[in-house]
Amino acid sequence: MSKIWTLVKREYSESVFKKSFIIMTIITPLLLVAMGIIPSLLVMMETEDQVRLRILDRTGKLYEPFSSSLQDTLQNGQPRFVHELSETNDSSAVLLGKNLVETQAIDGFLIIPKDVFRRNQITYFSRNVANFDDTNLIESTIQNLADQHRIKNSGLDAGIINELTADIRLKTIKITSEGTESERGFGEEYLSTFILVLIIYVTLLIYGNSVMRSIVHEKSSRIIEVLLSSANPFQLMAGKILGQGFVGFTQYLLWSLTGIGLVLFGSKALPVSSNFLKMDAMIFVYFIIFYILGYFIFATLYAAVGAISNSEQDAQQMATPVVFMLIIPIMIIGFLVKSPDSSLAITLSMIPFFSPIIMFARINLSNPGFLQIGTSILILILSTVFLIWITGKIFRVGILMYGKRPTLPEIIKWIKY
Amino acid sequence: MVLLNVQKIEKKFGDFRAVSDVSFNLEGGKIYGLLGPNGAGKTTTIRMIMNILVPDSGSIEFFGQKMSDDLKNRLGYLPEERGLYPKMKVLPLLQFFGEMHGLTAAEAKKRAVFWLEKLEISDKSSLKAEELSKGQQQKIQFISAIIHNPELLILDEPFTGLDPVNVNLFKDIILDLKKENRAIIFSTHLMESAEKLCDEVLMINQGRKVLDGPLKTIQQSYGKKTILLEYSGDQQIIEQQEMVSSVNNYGNYAEIILHDNYSSDDFLRKICPVLSVHRFEAARTSLNDIFISIVKGENHV
Repeated sequence: MSKIWTLVKREYSESVFKKSFIIMTIITPLLLVAMGIIPSLLVMMETEDQVRLRILDRTGKLYEPFSSSLQDTLQNGQPRFVHELSETNDSSAVLLGKNLVETQAIDGFLIIPKDVFRRNQITYFSRNVANFDDTNLIESTIQNLADQHRIKNSGLDAGIINELTADIRLKTIKITSEGTESERGFGEEYLSTFILVLIIYVTLLIYGNSVMRSIVHEKSSRIIEVLLSSANPFQLMAGKILGQGFVGFTQYLLWSLTGIGLVLFGSKALPVSSNFLKMDAMIFVYFIIFYILGYFIFATLYAAVGAISNSEQDAQQMATPVVFMLIIPIMIIGFLVKSPDSSLAITLSMIPFFSPIIMFARINLSNPGFLQIGTSILILILSTVFLIWITGKIFRVGILMYGKRPTLPEIIKWIKY
Repeated sequence: MVLLNVQKIEKKFGDFRAVSDVSFNLEGGKIYGLLGPNGAGKTTTIRMIMNILVPDSGSIEFFGQKMSDDLKNRLGYLPEERGLYPKMKVLPLLQFFGEMHGLTAAEAKKRAVFWLEKLEISDKSSLKAEELSKGQQQKIQFISAIIHNPELLILDEPFTGLDPVNVNLFKDIILDLKKENRAIIFSTHLMESAEKLCDEVLMINQGRKVLDGPLKTIQQSYGKKTILLEYSGDQQIIEQQEMVSSVNNYGNYAEIILHDNYSSDDFLRKICPVLSVHRFEAARTSLNDIFISIVKGENHV
């Protein structure tokens, strides 16, 4: 036991005081916070130009109400639209309008036909018709004018009509497992789940990989032989997995404390940080639990890959199936967000290699209940223990094998042996 | 006192018999040469002693107990290929190896400092292992093998890459350890250094023990006891000696072979009073020749 501890100590101090660890620990929460702030920053920094509109009004009476309805302003307080009325309304006016657009004297040329309320169509010329903001605004303004005009013509009371056709908004409120409610929509739900799941995914990948790399490195530099003169293979494997595990755990603890801190005090410190930080502190507890469990099962897999590889390239190649087991649940997240409690989702959240990501995602998205969470955790722990037992056997033979890469039947023989 | 008792160990890898039917005893205060060509089974034998590999049959007893992981703290190992953490600084690295052998952190550090001083590299203790020269790394590796004062020390080619000054430094430490009643296994294929250092020799080839015993006995039984003599005086006297089995006499130079039960000392004593001796050489067959003849003989069969 004391030997495992010595190994863990070395692994830990060699990794935690490395620059890359410190940088990653600081940068990740910064990125996380930035993802909350950047969208609003982007909106603020959006470059806005005035849109110069020329309007050919063949009805002769829509220009006034139209230009008075289109009164949006830019960030700097200036009107968003500058309009001018085409004085003439013959075919040369159309040509002139198009020409002005082409020579960039104006940005848009709008033709309102005489029978606009029967044809239900107006024509808009512009160099850029993909600007949804502008075209939508123009369209809805005309639409409103048309609505009012028709209601007026039909002799009905516009006020009553508006009341009768008022839109109904869907307000989504999430009930969490603790019974608290929060006002959340698809966007925030998807974003916060996805970010946390992505962190689990990336860290499992990083720390699993560092277990593997460190084993391959000790193997190729023959340190393993020196270590074996004082410890047995199982102690080496345990030392490696636990050592890197503590490194990851340290990082997670720092992040989670930052996360819990943001949840509790974030709204005061970061007024722009938006809804996405409105998370349950309990989520961070599960975040740690599922990271730890996921880490053990994947670190064990990576340790096995490290033990049977001779070089880092070799190891990266052999680790591909392991990486797939991490990628598959990430690919399923999209489906999971839509139906987190479908039987497929429940099944996937019980499968050991997928459960760290899928179950954690489900906890975020819905309320799977303690029975399901507990079962998933239990299956995960049991399979990890089994995997450690098998990997121990592969490890014992593998770390002393140099040269040829073992075939699958050979590895199976090592397990039986 | 028998420190390590190896009884008929055998190890197979698949169909390949790496070691078979090897037995020997090691005592404290002696240096044992483990000799053999590449692929003879030296490393496999060492790994079995260290409990890295478990023999398929046979037994290994260390201090009268079956070899186990708990006994590993009492042995030290210098592998042939050096293994140090390149990014670690020398002092923490040695401290780590000391702790791995059961020393406390403080004790490990104290001894690391002592040995760095003794091997004249204490000024390098805050450098990273990768910043050291080959020879300096070798010294660190050597310290890591002896830092916990092991009762059995296994050295696999300890002198490769060392300059003559450092070879002497290592040799003196090895001889000191021998005086302290440690058993030392010296695995090498360089017969000259084995000849100079070893008390006993264990030679293996193709997984089998082919030779075992005190170096002197081996050299005597394999040696042809040719004596090269430069002299002046009556050449008849040489031929008249009873102990001489055959002689190739040139007048003032002779090559003499004695009968089995006589030593070159006996012969020298006999002729000294009657001849004036300019050069006397009892040319023993070198370990190298013995090794080659055995290996060739074996491999031809």
